Amino acid sequence: MKKQILWLALLFLGVSFEAAVAQTTPAHALTNITIHHADGSIDESATLVWRDGVIEAAGSNVNIPFDAFEIDGGDSLHVYPGFIDGFSVWGSPDLPTDLKPVDDPGNPPYDRAGIQPDRRPSVVLQSDKNFETGMKAGFTTAALVPKGYMLPGQVEVFYLSDDLESVELLHEQLAQSGSFEEAPGGWTRGVYPSTLMGVMAKFRQLMFDAEALQQHIKYYSQNPEMPAPDRDPVIESLFPLLNKEVPLYFEVDQKEHIERLLKLKDEFGFDVVIVSGKEAYAKADELKDRNIPVLASIDFTDMPDWYKKQKEAEDSDEEAEEEEVSEEEQAYRDKQMEAWKAEVTNIRKLMDAGVSVGYASAGLELKDLADKLEILLNEGSVSEEEAVQLMTQNTAEILGLGDRLGSLEKGKNASFSVFSKPFSEEKAKVLHSISNGTIHEFNGE
Amino acid sequence: MKKLTLFLLIVAFGWTAQAQEKGSVLIQNATVITITDGDLEDTDVLIRDGIIERIGKDLNAPRGVETIDASGKYVMPGIIDAHSHLNGVDINEPRNPVTAEVTMEESVDPNEVGIYHSLAGGVTSIHLMHGSANVIGGQGETLKLRYGADQEGLKFEDAPRTIKFALGENPTRVHGQGNSIQPRTRMGVEQIIRNHFDEALDYKRKREAYLEAKQGFDRNGRGTPPVPVAKNLRYEILNDIIEGEILVHCHSYRADEILMLVRVFNDYGIENYTFQHANEAFKVAPELAKHGAHTSVFSDWWAYKFEVYYSTAYNASILNANGVINSINSDNDQLQRTLNHEAAKVVRYGNTSVNDALKMITLHPAIQLGIDDRVGSIEEGKDGDVAIWSGHPFDIYSKAEMTFVDGKKYFDLANDADDMRIHIEPGTKFEDGSHMREIVSRREADACLQDAFILFGEQSAQQHN
Repeated sequence: MKKQILWLALLFLGVSFEAAVAQTTPAHALTNITIHHADGSIDESATLVWRDGVIEAAGSNVNIPFDAFEIDGGDSLHVYPGFIDGFSVWGSPDLPTDLKPVDDPGNPPYDRAGIQPDRRPSVVLQSDKNFETGMKAGFTTAALVPKGYMLPGQVEVFYLSDDLESVELLHEQLAQSGSFEEAPGGWTRGVYPSTLMGVMAKFRQLMFDAEALQQHIKYYSQNPEMPAPDRDPVIESLFPLLNKEVPLYFEVDQKEHIERLLKLKDEFGFDVVIVSGKEAYAKADELKDRNIPVLASIDFTDMPDWYKKQKEAEDSDEEAEEEEVSEEEQAYRDKQMEAWKAEVTNIRKLMDAGVSVGYASAGLELKDLADKLEILLNEGSVSEEEAVQLMTQNTAEILGLGDRLGSLEKGKNASFSVFSKPFSEEKAKVLHSISNGTIHEFNGE
Repeated sequence: MKKLTLFLLIVAFGWTAQAQEKGSVLIQNATVITITDGDLEDTDVLIRDGIIERIGKDLNAPRGVETIDASGKYVMPGIIDAHSHLNGVDINEPRNPVTAEVTMEESVDPNEVGIYHSLAGGVTSIHLMHGSANVIGGQGETLKLRYGADQEGLKFEDAPRTIKFALGENPTRVHGQGNSIQPRTRMGVEQIIRNHFDEALDYKRKREAYLEAKQGFDRNGRGTPPVPVAKNLRYEILNDIIEGEILVHCHSYRADEILMLVRVFNDYGIENYTFQHANEAFKVAPELAKHGAHTSVFSDWWAYKFEVYYSTAYNASILNANGVINSINSDNDQLQRTLNHEAAKVVRYGNTSVNDALKMITLHPAIQLGIDDRVGSIEEGKDGDVAIWSGHPFDIYSKAEMTFVDGKKYFDLANDADDMRIHIEPGTKFEDGSHMREIVSRREADACLQDAFILFGEQSAQQHN
């Protein structure tokens, strides 16, 4: 009995000792800042307190803990929840360039056919200057996926950092990624599946193969007297999708492709998240009804030249030169404008229809981000507040991480960016990026 | 400006929004080419809600139904092309000699402006086919040319499933010469078919045995469970062919290989198939008639490769005279718009009757696609897929003036806008995207070996049928 008490006492001591250690990690407090919340609300002269990567307080009337390391924002800094890239190829190994011909193009090895569902970013991730560039653009978190073809690999979520070593895994095997990209190789080195219809068929066959292998493994585990299954890491990595345990993040733009994707979804019953989705507006009502989110790309087609000229003339107040345009050209321009407007108002239309929309770079290069955002705000009928919400809270929710990411409030992960000005203003710069509580400084650059 | 755009769009495309709706129309005082009941002078055709309701004289238009006076004009069934690659996203999946699992149903481009151009030639249905690179290619999709509808809306509802086979030079060159795998010869082509049918039957036995054993084991949990046999899409389709659920359309030229396939199909009990191109079919016309095999040929197109030298413009007439159900096809987007001329040549060359020649672009392709209960002739109860022609469709000066699908007007010569594209890329400049005529002529005739030319090597890149 005595011994037991001693043990209990030790146990308590141990616990409190640990707690004491935790308490010694100092808090950080960022004071006199403007907080731009994900929902569009703004706290002026506010304070943000975080400790151990978790936000303790955010707002105007905040008590700063006694142990907090205080940084004074001097009433000039603007803090936003860290932007989240919902689908990015940052850190991915490059696509293979030296494709050898194969003996039987109808039966190529999986990787040669672009079938690599077993690949995980946490295993294949490489150094990439985009991690740092991304932070300088306001991103603190990204769902990463390897570059590839029909089944490029798995989606995993990471906290960004400026060096690969400290890019931290936040969520492993969040989703399977996919696209309608046929196997690489083009005319001379192509292998099956080399067409859209081939990819559709091959996808189905892979799922059938996974179904059989899973069954075999299950039977064998209880019946060692039967022939052993041929284990296959590629096919086995599709089990979670087959079992509807993870969604399929599918990179798709064309309306018709979205219809084809939904066909596959209906056949196998997994959840899908549309990635990029440039023509998703054309299916907005159906996406809403079926509760299918879109991680939208803003990689818009460049503004038609003639329209750009018109805009510039309007902005410069100078008397615009009257341009001679034939009836035929005018008719074409009208059509072109309609098509372009449809593209840049995609996100607006999706939001209006009630579709859950987040953000994905999906291959958009960071150097183009500012220009594309400008088009979204000026031509796409999306407000700055909506754009922020899109890139933070909405994306976090679509990724299934809304409970810890995407907004600046007590208990959420401390991932946010400190801008010199409101983020969409010209020359706005990220001065500090706080990713999972770690401060990265970009001063003086 | 915005309003103008909107207005233009409504004018040009207002009807596309309702593209899948069925229409009603009363066409009056026309010469009606019924195909199955002769030509009827001064006759009215009433289409209601997409269906031909009445054919007769002095019919009254029901309330709200548009009336068209077709005095001096001809009404004929919409032309059906049993061999087309008009609006395929891809045509060939050329990396394996057998790709039965792929289907053109999943390769339909509904935005192809060529659909509209074909409507202007009086065409209302096409058989969108896989190419001829493979011995057993992909499944086909029968479409109604409801321009403006989405890929689902273009489908000919409940049309039987079809599949492409290909014999001779194309598959042996693509796979044998191109990839050094079977088939390298015509013998190899036959063996590919037989081997795959046998493998498919073997698969079926194993798969069914597995499913049965699995059911038993899962129910009572006794004994040793069966080793799973994965569902195999390719073999499933091959079994569907053997079981007669899929109509085979086989690219072929030489008489010997045509008879070869007849023998193979006899061995596996496959009926209801059509030989496409079949330039030497005239040599074996009685044999084809005996086996109920159909043919779908060109009127006078040949000599584009070695196996197509022994050809004759009498092919269609000889087949017809021997009782073979024969159609005239285009396999070419341009030719598709003038299939009436192609059929007229059969009259000119071989003295086939005008009505029999007309059957070759209407009822016969419908039979070959298994849609003759719905289209291919003007009969009460059939679909309202018709075209109004300015004169007899075999007259070189005649034009299709209006084309209807399901009673809905999709082409009207009097309201024929210059640019009927549904979809343009916003990044395409006027200089590159405006000249419709140039765009259309630049487009490859989307023939059988699209996506597979390269596998032949450069010399033969232009030879593709």
